[in-house]
Amino acid sequence: MSTIATSKAPDVSSRPTSRRISWGRIGAYALLLVFAVIYIGPLLMLVITSFKTLPEFMKSATALPTTINVRNFVEAWNKANFLRYMTNTLIYTVSATAIYVVTAVLVAFPISRGYVKGAGILLTLYVIALFLPVALIPQFQLMLSLGLYNNPIGYIMLFLVNPIGVVILVNYIKTLPLELDEAAAMDGCGYFRFVISIIFPLISPAIATIAVLHAIGIWNELILPTIYLTSKDYYPITRGMIVFQGVYGSNWPTLAAAVLIMTLPMLVLFLVLQRYIVSGLTSGAVKG
Amino acid sequence: MTNYHFGRGRARLAPYLLLLPGFLFYVIIMLGPSVATSVYSFTDASGIKGAAVHWVGLQNYREFLFMGQASLDNYAALVRTLIFCFCVTTIQFTLGLVLALLVNQRLRGVNIFRTIFFMPVILGAVIQGLIWSLFLYPLGGPLASLLGMFGIHSEFLGGQPAEAMAWVIVVQIWANLGTTMMIFIAGLQTIPGELYEVVRIDGANGWQTFKNVTWPLLTSSVNTNLLLNIIGSLQAWQLFLVLLGYRNGTQVLGYLIFAQGFGQTSGSVTSAFRQGYAASASIVLFFLVLIIGLPTQYLLRRREERILG
Repeated sequence: MSTIATSKAPDVSSRPTSRRISWGRIGAYALLLVFAVIYIGPLLMLVITSFKTLPEFMKSATALPTTINVRNFVEAWNKANFLRYMTNTLIYTVSATAIYVVTAVLVAFPISRGYVKGAGILLTLYVIALFLPVALIPQFQLMLSLGLYNNPIGYIMLFLVNPIGVVILVNYIKTLPLELDEAAAMDGCGYFRFVISIIFPLISPAIATIAVLHAIGIWNELILPTIYLTSKDYYPITRGMIVFQGVYGSNWPTLAAAVLIMTLPMLVLFLVLQRYIVSGLTSGAVKG
Repeated sequence: MTNYHFGRGRARLAPYLLLLPGFLFYVIIMLGPSVATSVYSFTDASGIKGAAVHWVGLQNYREFLFMGQASLDNYAALVRTLIFCFCVTTIQFTLGLVLALLVNQRLRGVNIFRTIFFMPVILGAVIQGLIWSLFLYPLGGPLASLLGMFGIHSEFLGGQPAEAMAWVIVVQIWANLGTTMMIFIAGLQTIPGELYEVVRIDGANGWQTFKNVTWPLLTSSVNTNLLLNIIGSLQAWQLFLVLLGYRNGTQVLGYLIFAQGFGQTSGSVTSAFRQGYAASASIVLFFLVLIIGLPTQYLLRRREERILG
């Protein structure tokens, strides 16, 4: 900024052209702040409520708590059986995502390279998934007849598919040069070993993206556990939370503590994995 | 077909065999059931194990569309789905664009704002719904107090159906605005900075710059966002479940399918498992998505070709 020689810099607004107060800038900040309040406000309310006692909340829902009271968290943790539900969710998410990612790469790679007949048609089948009718009913009939109703294995099976991830992978693999395959084959590398030991590491950003995208979906899923899991022992955290709400619906401080317990791991993960989450959720943009 | 390098004969089968598990999962779990929905829509399937399934022809559709009060309720749900879709798409699209333009500037702290707006996306319907149920607490909650200062009283989610639905729309947008914004940001970052330099030298003002540079060059993000928002909001209903439950006057098609097919209602209303009927409702929703989605995509594609050549 000290020299004029950088005037070719792509961003114009970064160079302070004058020392005058920029009203546009103030307006932008004002608008951003208004939105930030709308986004932070509900979360703030959650945190405040979770530290209050029920009488305090009844007296004034918005007042700050007089003391920092962690009893709600202890109570929520003990009463809600969260450890169990979280373990279940973790098992479902990790196992389904792992299987999904490996199988998805093995589908996407030959489609992207044209190593299987009808690769174009296969890809189309994955692309149209966005428009398909809801599969809930026949899926349910299928699981029922296979005896996989209220069965953790059957529940995991429901999450072995995510068409958009395959499309993302196909597009990403297209950017890898074909010479890679030729050179590896020349050295006597087999197909499976090539995909696992060479392609996998090369496409790890795309893998991280689809894994994160898929895992978030499983973690937050509410409808499928409601349909398929009837034993409390199998409940994931989302279903457990709804049950807890049913019992503690009017006790907002305890409920808020429970919601906060459920939110915190997600927030931490979000901040750590933000890059992949963003690319996962916006990569609908890359579809051809 | 490109040349295959990894051997001939039996070795040529490797890609097929390794592709099979993933593809079979897709066919068995999603594609097959999805197509089979149309078959089930002609039956009286109940969802009770071992119960006989009969072919009933068009009866489910007749009942869904032309059977007195129940059909009128279905039409109401259909209209509600369209209203929900329209409101969510237009508002989310506009706000997403505005926010993207704001946080794409070189302002101090924009990254924090970006993170804040994107954050609800990962929380999922359960947390999103519960957070807002608390925020909209009618007895002296934050928003109730705020509106109270202006002498406005509202029951929020417990109010009239139209009012309750308006709040679901608010939460739906709050929850998904971040994705729309991020897609716009990705589009904005592909626009070369020199272009802005050029129009600035030509003396274009902010609005002219937006109209002549930003908007046309943002076409593919515009298309992606419109399509994702339209289809997504036509099929969305989870927030209705968490925020309102199955309440008369607020159902949308997606929720109706679920409630008819699985009798799972978190309110007092419980219906039997009528999966054949629910399948026919799924097909109605499918056609709605096609009728709105396909022409939209066609028009957007044509516009893209016209603008970007």
